Amino acid sequence: MTAIQRNNTINLARLQSVIALVVLCTIIAILSDKFLTMDNGWNVLRQIAVNICISVGMTLIVLTAGIDLSVGSILALCGAITAGLLKNGIKLPSADLFIGFTLLGALLGGIIVGSLLGWFNGFVITKFKVPPFVGTLAMLTIARGLTMLWTQGHPISNLGPSFATIGTGWLLGIPVPVWIAGIVVLLAVFITRQTRLGRYIYAIGGNENAAILSGININKVKLIVYSIAGALAAVGGIMVTSRLDSAQPNAGTGYELDAIAAVVIGGTSLSGGKGSIGGTVMGAVIIGVLNNGLVLLNVSPFWQQVVKGAVILIAVIIDKGGNKK
Amino acid sequence: MARKIIKYGLLTIVIGLLAYKSVFIIKLSELQTIEPKAFDAPGFVQKLWDGKLPARLDSAITLDALQTAIKLNPGAAFDTYFNSMSIGNIRYGLVKLSGKVLAVSDDEVTLLAGNSNEPLTVKIATEYVYGNAIRDASRLINIKDFVNTTDLNKISEELNKQVRKVVLPPFKANVKKDDMVTCIGALELNEAHYSLSDLEIIPVQCKIIQQ
Repeated sequence: MTAIQRNNTINLARLQSVIALVVLCTIIAILSDKFLTMDNGWNVLRQIAVNICISVGMTLIVLTAGIDLSVGSILALCGAITAGLLKNGIKLPSADLFIGFTLLGALLGGIIVGSLLGWFNGFVITKFKVPPFVGTLAMLTIARGLTMLWTQGHPISNLGPSFATIGTGWLLGIPVPVWIAGIVVLLAVFITRQTRLGRYIYAIGGNENAAILSGININKVKLIVYSIAGALAAVGGIMVTSRLDSAQPNAGTGYELDAIAAVVIGGTSLSGGKGSIGGTVMGAVIIGVLNNGLVLLNVSPFWQQVVKGAVILIAVIIDKGGNKK
Repeated sequence: MARKIIKYGLLTIVIGLLAYKSVFIIKLSELQTIEPKAFDAPGFVQKLWDGKLPARLDSAITLDALQTAIKLNPGAAFDTYFNSMSIGNIRYGLVKLSGKVLAVSDDEVTLLAGNSNEPLTVKIATEYVYGNAIRDASRLINIKDFVNTTDLNKISEELNKQVRKVVLPPFKANVKKDDMVTCIGALELNEAHYSLSDLEIIPVQCKIIQQ
């Protein structure tokens, strides 16, 4: 294979998800006249924004050859904590004190809790050498239980117009969630491409032993990466809660699978060290468009799951094929 | 060393500023005087039950008149006699009926009621009393008077509780097959796909007039 042919193959691989998206959009647009409308476009972007936030965190983790199954539960817990702090504050009857939270305080509270839970995931994985799959699976259950405890199983609603702006507002003609997702993506691209942390993340995923021998503190990097993923899940949780004006105890169920799907479809290797934030964004867009298209085409919800699973499977098979080459 | 002091000093200032802008602390006892009182749904419903609701029950349309009205002009009948506080096609109306008891079960009492030429089978719910039927059918609640849906839902809960507590026990204890019964209650119909063949009402007033 000549250098030109090799370059063409790499470019084609990078274009795979773009081609898939174009094909998908064309098919849906032919079958449904509602797909290519502005309203539907903004709606899809709003929905994708949440998945993009979670998927970006997941990408950083997958690049280190890890995985995080707890992001959906962390999303629910952090959304509930933000809503609870904003609406009810914290009452300390024994001290006759009420700690109230401003919007800023409630948002920071939710994000801090998210990053602490992510940090705890990283701590368990690095300190006790628990496989990420198992460690984060445990956190999935813990966080869901904590959500039920915090909310007592009831939604926390009526959070006020300022909070609602985060999920439903517009800024310069673009929905606020899309701005948030855009900023998250830009920061993640900057971290992965321009910082030492980004290089360490790829190095750990590429060859962990070599990274250790190179003097990289892999535990510290993993702790940072899992904390970032937790914080981004919290951001997603805040957006979902704001959009619904209600923190639902069962929010975010299955979101971890959509995030993993976006990462895989975007071409990030589950064995780590290979992939990009741009690819993940493309993966999230494909998943979002697919979800939207299946709803517009009145496909049964049961079949929707089958189709989504099949798409992920095809993406992984293509990815494997690409790796062999 | 000096750089570290500046770095951590700045960090402390930023964290302090964020905390100052994020949290406020007041005495719990002061808060209780500031906080608006929670909506007293039981009190509100009791007042409604004893005050405005009886007059509404008196003005409820009879089942045979409703049959005729729906047959003549369904749209006008729904507009005049039915109401709903939520979106969708489900409408609720207060209906007055009397009829003979055909069957009594744990969950319902079945009557033959309505127009004598076209009698209808109507079930009076005696066990599962849920939903917003009475609240919406009464037309006594203005959605604009409430700042949240939780309070509106509490009104329905309390109305249903009142039915279970006050209306149903004496009725259920005495009703039997072949009794003549009069009843006023909330009827649910789907405006888009209505059918008068299998009606169920949530009772607000029930009397056994002949045993």
